[in-house]
Amino acid sequence: MSSLTSSLPRADGAGARAARWGLYLILLLFAVWYLLPLVVMVSTSFKSLDEIRTGSLLSLPRDISTDAWSYAWTNACIGADCRGMAPYFLNSVIIVVPAVIISTLFGALNGYALTKWRFRGANLVFAMILFGSFLPSQVILLPMAQTLGFLGLAGTAGGLILVHVVYGLAFTTLFFRNYYVSIPDDLVKAATIDGAGFFQIFTKIMLPLSLPIMVVTIIWQFTQIWNDFLFGASFAAGGAQPVTVALNNLVNTTTGVKQYNVDMAAAMIAGLPTLVVYALAGKYFIRGLTAGSVKG
Amino acid sequence: MATLSINNVRKQYGSVEVLKGIDLSLNDGEFLVLLGPSGCGKSTLLNMIAGLETISAGEIRIDQRVINGVHPKDRDIAMVFQSYALYPNMTVARNIGFSLEMRGLSKAERDEAIGRVAKLLQIEHLLDRKPAQLSGGQRQRVAMGRALVRDPKIFLFDEPLSNLDAKLRVDMRTEIKKLHQRLGTTVVYVTHDQIEAMTLASRIAIMKEGVVQQFAPPQEVYERPANMYVASFIGSPTMNFIRGTLSAEGDRLGVSVTAKGPSESGPSRFLPLAEAPAEADRWLGEEVILGVRPEAITCYDPAIAAGNPALVRVSCRVSVLEPTGADTITYIQLGGQEVVARIKPSDRPVEGEPADFMIDMSRANLFDPRTEQRI
Repeated sequence: MSSLTSSLPRADGAGARAARWGLYLILLLFAVWYLLPLVVMVSTSFKSLDEIRTGSLLSLPRDISTDAWSYAWTNACIGADCRGMAPYFLNSVIIVVPAVIISTLFGALNGYALTKWRFRGANLVFAMILFGSFLPSQVILLPMAQTLGFLGLAGTAGGLILVHVVYGLAFTTLFFRNYYVSIPDDLVKAATIDGAGFFQIFTKIMLPLSLPIMVVTIIWQFTQIWNDFLFGASFAAGGAQPVTVALNNLVNTTTGVKQYNVDMAAAMIAGLPTLVVYALAGKYFIRGLTAGSVKG
Repeated sequence: MATLSINNVRKQYGSVEVLKGIDLSLNDGEFLVLLGPSGCGKSTLLNMIAGLETISAGEIRIDQRVINGVHPKDRDIAMVFQSYALYPNMTVARNIGFSLEMRGLSKAERDEAIGRVAKLLQIEHLLDRKPAQLSGGQRQRVAMGRALVRDPKIFLFDEPLSNLDAKLRVDMRTEIKKLHQRLGTTVVYVTHDQIEAMTLASRIAIMKEGVVQQFAPPQEVYERPANMYVASFIGSPTMNFIRGTLSAEGDRLGVSVTAKGPSESGPSRFLPLAEAPAEADRWLGEEVILGVRPEAITCYDPAIAAGNPALVRVSCRVSVLEPTGADTITYIQLGGQEVVARIKPSDRPVEGEPADFMIDMSRANLFDPRTEQRI
């Protein structure tokens, strides 16, 4: 990165300097523009209802209060159930963690088999899997509902995990396949001669080399599955609903005064995990997306 | 320690035949070099010996045992790859010991074997490093170590030196040779470098388009090439091919070299052959190609020429001199054709002037201009 910026031509002369400052100004405006909704959400979530009524939308909270957050977490009514967001947050965790792990591992295994054990028709199989990543999610709603009913998984967390794994496999396979293409085939040949089998090569050589793409895949899958609303609303019943569906129900079913601070706090709760994942693994994300071959 | 025999082996990809019936047989402890340009099928053949490619037809035997359907790990072979193929996630020690680990040897046995190989290759201080922290030469050693640790029947090398810089390549070449002398294991070594082939091999198999052109010891390949392809592939500068006609002068057979075309002028030269070729009668009066190595043409020295009837004196005009230090590569005009001679720097003639040379006809080869085969 640093080499990239340092190779840019230096700004020389007054005109160039003015252009450079103009550029920064425009970038700053865009940053403010995009950050504003987040600022409003965060500041509103720390205000009291009175302050929201009397103050302006953009003003910062006078007394910071976390009441709205704790109310949203434990007491807010989602439909008729007034236990707050907490149980639904847990639902999401129960769905997302296994779905991400399973879809990532199978994606890695698919990518490995498609690149290093090329069988007759491997390209066709890959093309069909690739096609899966272009399918709009609405298209699979009805067949998936039938499948879940047939398997007896309708309305359960297990059913939702299956849906996300199946739908996510197209993407995870694509990621790993494209990454493994750049790993030299000689490694697999050498390991074959050394006596390692299909799964030993996978676990002892390919997986340890996969950290960058694994982080990318995990972030991608985590974001997709955590933020999913359609599958959650379609395939999860009542108490098994994920946090996104709960947020919608919380915001849409208030009676009486609209508690904007609680709504904002609940929205922040629903959105925080993906932000945390990006903050922790973001640098690997960029690195993984641009990663080329493994020099070794 | 093993014999290797390759019997009428073929390889097809769809309708494309890459190997067209290869027959090679190696004695215990031999060093076979498969030499050829890229795309000649030499790496494919090596991969088939290793078991990484299937065999379309024919059979490969190691110690009389047919290994066509045997899994690579059970063939008792070890391979060194051009890219080294070191496992980037493992330390040098684990890289070397990986095959033993896969065979279920205990940690203590593995450490003992790794230590022995590391000592042999002088890489003991590198054992805890990762491949990315090694230089090219060090990686090469580790790759060798990984092959050595198993004490296999046959070593397979796939252009192991081509990723090294020129100086290191020469050093490692010598080291591979020493190692082979010390261990005495049968080796199959693939390269496109004729110097590597000459220096290392006990026998060279020169391949072109999936066919073995010649399978012989290096010196024989050099001195008596089976055809013009082999003759031009080995040796630098390449062998001179002089067009001429087989003719008789008195009771001596020889090649008459005549200038051709109006722009070329010069008298016809008669170069008597040291020994008559096979079926000399059939070729008499026919066009032939005389193959002469540059070092067989030297400056005329009456003292040497007097005692040796095979040395033929010719007077030629010198066109260009290229001093290389050890020798001076000299381009001369012989019967209107450009011929390269390798001259001692102390003998160097003058550019543009005629000078006397002598050709050692006992080292000459005759080729059929149509089939390009040796006569």
